[in-house]
Amino acid sequence: MTDLLAKNIESITEFLAHALELEVESAERYRELADNMQVHNNPEVAELFLRLARYGDAHAAEVQQRAAAFELPYISPWDFKWSCPEAPEVPCMEDAHYLMNKCQALELALHNEIRGRDFYSQVAASSPDPAVQEAAAEMAAEEDTHVAMLREWVAREACEAEKCPSDLDPPNMPE
Amino acid sequence: MTAPAPTLALKAKDYKSDIKPIWCPGCGHFAVLSAATKALAHLGLPKEQVALISGIGCSSRLPAYIDSYGFHGVHGRALAVAAGLKAARPDLTVLVAGGDGDGFSIGGNHFLHACRRNMDMTYIVMDNEVYGMTKGQASPTTAPEWTHSKMTPHGTGMRRFQPAAMALAAGATWIARGFSGDPSDLTRLLVEAIQHPGFALLHVLSPCQTFRPEQRDWKRQVHAFADSPTNDPVEAAQRIHGDDGMSLGLIYSQHLPVWQPLNEPATTVATLEEEFRV
Repeated sequence: MTDLLAKNIESITEFLAHALELEVESAERYRELADNMQVHNNPEVAELFLRLARYGDAHAAEVQQRAAAFELPYISPWDFKWSCPEAPEVPCMEDAHYLMNKCQALELALHNEIRGRDFYSQVAASSPDPAVQEAAAEMAAEEDTHVAMLREWVAREACEAEKCPSDLDPPNMPE
Repeated sequence: MTAPAPTLALKAKDYKSDIKPIWCPGCGHFAVLSAATKALAHLGLPKEQVALISGIGCSSRLPAYIDSYGFHGVHGRALAVAAGLKAARPDLTVLVAGGDGDGFSIGGNHFLHACRRNMDMTYIVMDNEVYGMTKGQASPTTAPEWTHSKMTPHGTGMRRFQPAAMALAAGATWIARGFSGDPSDLTRLLVEAIQHPGFALLHVLSPCQTFRPEQRDWKRQVHAFADSPTNDPVEAAQRIHGDDGMSLGLIYSQHLPVWQPLNEPATTVATLEEEFRV
């Protein structure tokens, strides 16, 4: 498991601010990827990313609901306590390609969902605050169900056999 | 580090326009777009107080994707347009965006004089060492031995343009290098650049997935500058020349007088009418 936590999360409000950022950013990135795949004529993967964005919206709404009772601190974008450059569940733009297939997109989502789960697990294990430990453990358990769901989805798609879309006029042709 | 919760009027996504980026999936410029919207939200800048000016190229499409004032100008002339705007509207936060070809080749002369003039603006250069929009020709920052274009089958044979060194020599007062693979730190640098009073160059290593796929390896090559930023140009020059080009962070920051023309008309309509009276 990669160490995804640079510093301990000390309070429930700080934890919820992290969780909200993670879920909102993840949904936003899937939406960007969906738009981008649409623009580049890969509608199947665009639809898949859009579906993942909607799941992300639902998760963000759940965190928002949980956070409603608190006043969350403002954290500068560069001061979040994850050790990676972006929130752990946010797919890297550079891992996308316009000729990617549905299975590659699902693998990308699975990879990031696992990182999200591991992040919550690490918070649960390391925070000195019992309320954070409890909330993080709950969210890790929920992320675990998402991981299982994505694994089933990958299996259902019979990914080994799926081919990548082709491009008869690739951009990398020499001028 | 946490701070008391300010009521942020706008969130990062509020600064995104409705236009979908046409950049290739995986392009580093997406991270610059994200950093720009996050920086604007962090600073709480009203949309109508921000103008984003660009030239031509993939990276110069940025103004279309940000919901503020924007001007997609002429190749290499983004800084000239931005300087004119800043002269006329000093109250605006002026950001300039472009690529290595637009900024250092076609716009090379404007770049030097914008550094020298030290107007209060931020220049974001997304450097992928290639002309991407025209299908992959060598740019001023391309390594001399890069042979993947038919235009330069034996490489360019020319030393690379050194953006940070050129900016320093020409008089820029804030110089930093960021990486699209680290959008959070890029946001921090961009916030600092905008806050700097004077000409700020934010040189961003932003890989081109399509024509320079080997740049995916940049994330393993980048590293933080070993030293903290300096305000001594001699020390900054030594650091830049001793650097491998992959160091990230603020290199040089100096507060010097900002050039801003007096916004007083040189003449009046009445005087002109008097002069042209027959």
